[in-house]
Amino acid sequence: MYFRGALVLSLMLVAPVFAMAQDMSVSGVLIDGQGWQLISEGYKFTEGPAADADGQVYFTDIPNNRIHKIGLDDKVTVFAEATANTNGLMFGPDGLLYGCRNGDKRIVAYDKDAKMQTIAEDLASNDLVVAGDGGIYVSDPPGGKVWYINSKREKRVVAEGLRPNGVILWPDQGTLVVTDGAEPVLWTFRVERDGSLTDKDRYYGPLQLPPGGGAPGSDGMKVDSIGRLYVTTRVGLQMFDPTGRLGGTILKPQPGSLSNVCFGGKNLDTLYVTAGDKVFKRRVQATGVRYAKPK
Amino acid sequence: MMPTRRFRYKVLPLAFYHHATTGLFLVLLAAGSPGEVSAADDYQLGPDSKVQEGVPQGAVTKRSWKSEKIYPGTERDFWIYVPKQYDGAQPANVMVFQDGGGYVNPEGQFRTTIAFDNLIHKKEIPVTIGIFINPGVIPAAGADQKPRQNRSFEYDSLGDQYARFLLEEILPEVGKEYKLTNEASGRAICGISSGGICAWTVAWERPDAFSKVLSHVGSFTNIRGGHVYPALIRKTERKPIRVFLQDGSADLDNVHGSWPLANQEMAASLKFAKYDYRFEYGDGGHNGKQGGAILPDSLRWLWRTEGAAATQK
Repeated sequence: MYFRGALVLSLMLVAPVFAMAQDMSVSGVLIDGQGWQLISEGYKFTEGPAADADGQVYFTDIPNNRIHKIGLDDKVTVFAEATANTNGLMFGPDGLLYGCRNGDKRIVAYDKDAKMQTIAEDLASNDLVVAGDGGIYVSDPPGGKVWYINSKREKRVVAEGLRPNGVILWPDQGTLVVTDGAEPVLWTFRVERDGSLTDKDRYYGPLQLPPGGGAPGSDGMKVDSIGRLYVTTRVGLQMFDPTGRLGGTILKPQPGSLSNVCFGGKNLDTLYVTAGDKVFKRRVQATGVRYAKPK
Repeated sequence: MMPTRRFRYKVLPLAFYHHATTGLFLVLLAAGSPGEVSAADDYQLGPDSKVQEGVPQGAVTKRSWKSEKIYPGTERDFWIYVPKQYDGAQPANVMVFQDGGGYVNPEGQFRTTIAFDNLIHKKEIPVTIGIFINPGVIPAAGADQKPRQNRSFEYDSLGDQYARFLLEEILPEVGKEYKLTNEASGRAICGISSGGICAWTVAWERPDAFSKVLSHVGSFTNIRGGHVYPALIRKTERKPIRVFLQDGSADLDNVHGSWPLANQEMAASLKFAKYDYRFEYGDGGHNGKQGGAILPDSLRWLWRTEGAAATQK
């Protein structure tokens, strides 16, 4: 008995580092019997899922120029219209909903009443991530750039020479991850104190590719509270552990596009995905991250 | 029923953990976990792994390295072992170790420098400088942030990046102080777990630079695509690589693959393609016990100069 107790104790002592080392399978994320549930359909192309402080999820229907809101009761309402092809969305620590308003080359933010303000102008954008200090990273696929907009709303290019699509920060905001849908890897950068990006490498990979050939089509991403990363791809929602190793692929809810993902719901323990004409959710054994803590 | 002398352990999915920054090896065995196996895994170190009176002892010095080119931003420690018999007159052979902090530890599972002392003294291996390198870490910008651990990226990735790191950064740096051979026949590389597949990857990519591989419980599984090697070995013209593989029947079976099956498949492909290989398959788990116990024999076999014949015990 003593022998057994000592082993359990030793495991408890090393548990935080041990969790980094053991394999992390999607079976540790999924819940038996909890598959994808359809929330709503009839859209042209859904994108940009983002959870507010209550866990309600907002998403865009890009060609229809609308932002929708999913209530905690799963009822979907229109939040904003005439959104000029707004794509990626995320809530900032100030409670504003930031958006990539690519139709008129602006980054904008909405308050609770859907009143819009301009944050930055003259930049193409696809996706964004808002850090805990209010700094924003924006992907600019046509320009092959990642922009940084600081809390004073000054913008500058912090990475070039890649075809960025999705962008996300680690839970501690010390590393930025960038997708490039044509590459079998995800790029990582060290985040400097002033928002600059350094030490670019192919840390996550290889991604699972469609059998028979083709690019991964990696797009939107999120991380969970223990640092697992979820990226939407052509073959499904791929999950990577914090050391950059693929832990497995969660099946898509339907054939076709899987553009983006977020954690939502009251306890932030439900995955929401935008998939072509529909939006789905699925409860999991993982919890999302809010970057509200100051850096 | 009376208890038997042989314990039944339940081994965790990953029973071996290497701490990337300190090189500390931990072996974790726990009751009540999935994957029950029965294994003795009671390998013991022999006299060649113990300090022997009258045998000259080499010197070990610790260095640190910040990569700016191949793994930008990474920092790491490494150790250089120089045998007493090295006099700088002739270029010394070189053996590189991944997870260097573990292999260089004189009280660890491998005690490599002690084995080197003994075998070099008996002239059973050539005068060889050991370079024991830890995996890289990218420190975070802030104290409240986590460093990025680069071990899996450096060791599990296929391709020539780690080989270039050795050839363009570490070997030239050590070469400033010590005369090292440039011949592939005088260069070996060794590692455990992901460090084991890394050793194979370095030689596979650059057989012109490294000709000898020693793998302990090597991760020839799908961590980052390394499960393709058995297929590649069969369908690629044989490369001039001598390779010693060690694994155990109680090794890992997890989401990345089955280590025992992967190592058996490597051995079968090496046999098929007529490589100069040796496969030691024991009953241990994901640790360095068997690899450490047979390290002196492995080194003798790897560095031997007589004719090469594929053998499998």
